[in-house]
Amino acid sequence: MKKTIAIKIVALLAVSFVLVGLFVSTSAYEETKARIVEVLCLSCIKLEPKTSQEFTFDTEDNASHPYYVTENLTKGPVFLHYSEDVCAGCEVMFPIVKQLFNIEFGKQDMFSDTVTFGNTNITYIYINLDHTTDALEESFPLYDKDDVGGLPMFTIVTLGYDHGIVRPYYTTLYGTLNVPTDEQRASVLQEILTESLELYSQNGAGYHSH
Amino acid sequence: MKLQLKRLYFQIILFFSANLGALGLKTGFCYPFFYCQACPAATSACPLRALENSVYKQSLEWRFLVYPLAIIGFFGITTGRAICGWACPIGLLQRGTGKVARKVRSHPIAQRLGAHRAEKYLRYTKYVMLIVFVFLTSFLIGFIFTDICPVGMLVGTFPIMILNPGKFVPNYFFPIALVIFILFLVLIFTIERGWCRYFCPVGALLAPFNKVSLLEVSVESKQCIHCNICSNVCPMGIDVPNMHRDLECIMCGKCVNSCPQSGIKFKRS
Repeated sequence: MKKTIAIKIVALLAVSFVLVGLFVSTSAYEETKARIVEVLCLSCIKLEPKTSQEFTFDTEDNASHPYYVTENLTKGPVFLHYSEDVCAGCEVMFPIVKQLFNIEFGKQDMFSDTVTFGNTNITYIYINLDHTTDALEESFPLYDKDDVGGLPMFTIVTLGYDHGIVRPYYTTLYGTLNVPTDEQRASVLQEILTESLELYSQNGAGYHSH
Repeated sequence: MKLQLKRLYFQIILFFSANLGALGLKTGFCYPFFYCQACPAATSACPLRALENSVYKQSLEWRFLVYPLAIIGFFGITTGRAICGWACPIGLLQRGTGKVARKVRSHPIAQRLGAHRAEKYLRYTKYVMLIVFVFLTSFLIGFIFTDICPVGMLVGTFPIMILNPGKFVPNYFFPIALVIFILFLVLIFTIERGWCRYFCPVGALLAPFNKVSLLEVSVESKQCIHCNICSNVCPMGIDVPNMHRDLECIMCGKCVNSCPQSGIKFKRS
């Protein structure tokens, strides 16, 4: 009898030791909090966020997201604005985007900045394919989710919940956004940005860039 | 204070403790019972969610494997499945539906089904659920128990839909999960503690600890007059006079209260 009790107490001490060890020397507690408790588990609720545009986890050929996206995602969503020199649609959208984020730069510049939208930081990266680096240019086919291959193209990368893992989640808009006026175009961009911010706030706690 | 009243108070306190997230308290602990972190008020994580994460699609994140098992192990060795009877919010829910289920049980057809020899084998379903849907399908194809969990539906899906009208749309698992949820409701209203008896994967994790726990319900067979009152009141349908550290015992203490000979007792060993 005494032997049985002794074994049980030893087992209890061993489990307690493992638990304390996990708390002290691993990130199990923090990771459980960040990746499970603080993130809205879409698998658990069997629901998807209702968005006006279709967001996806899949890049072309399942390629990795570029470092300037994954790293900046720790601060907030990333807005990639693709353009080129000779492009009527780019001319239409260029001032709308600048006004939306209250930024100023030239159409042929390489430009990136942290802008504020709805009290949240967004990393804005302007990529004029005629005046850019290879690293930035390579992201263009990656995010061309509908294989349009056309410009202007706008990619909003936020965070989504994929069966317990928070991953980059993006959507891409093309051209002049299928609406006739500048106000409507600005409104479409605002709507998609608002949705991306909401997705980010739902999942941000569970994201690790590495 | 009567034991069952104490247990009720304890269950209510634990229910509120599990929902302190409503006051902003979110922790990195795993519940030692069955409750969903998707509940807007949840304080901690479901142990099953962490276990699914640990093996999802051939990955092995040992921290997520060991951490919930160590928490379950700690409470299991200390109290066995008393967690199901005294702490689990879904246990509290089934306590509420138990009166209806007891009325159903008195029906002759229900009695015949309950006495069927297959009934004891049905209780192994929860172990199958744990192994297949929490570990195996999660590891092999990425299908997880969480995708169809009726408790997630009850405490996560519906509150979130009510709190965020129009912000979410059902995903492809929703119809299946809804059917399972309806079956869950039928189950808990027709079989007392039906979820705990047959399907609860957390119960399956805790059950083996009944064999080694420091706390147990002990039956003094010399005092037994074979009145069978204890078995009749047992919400888990255990043959109490013949039990010894039964895997199904949730240590609710109903048999302890009901024994006219005071031959059933809680025992620390």
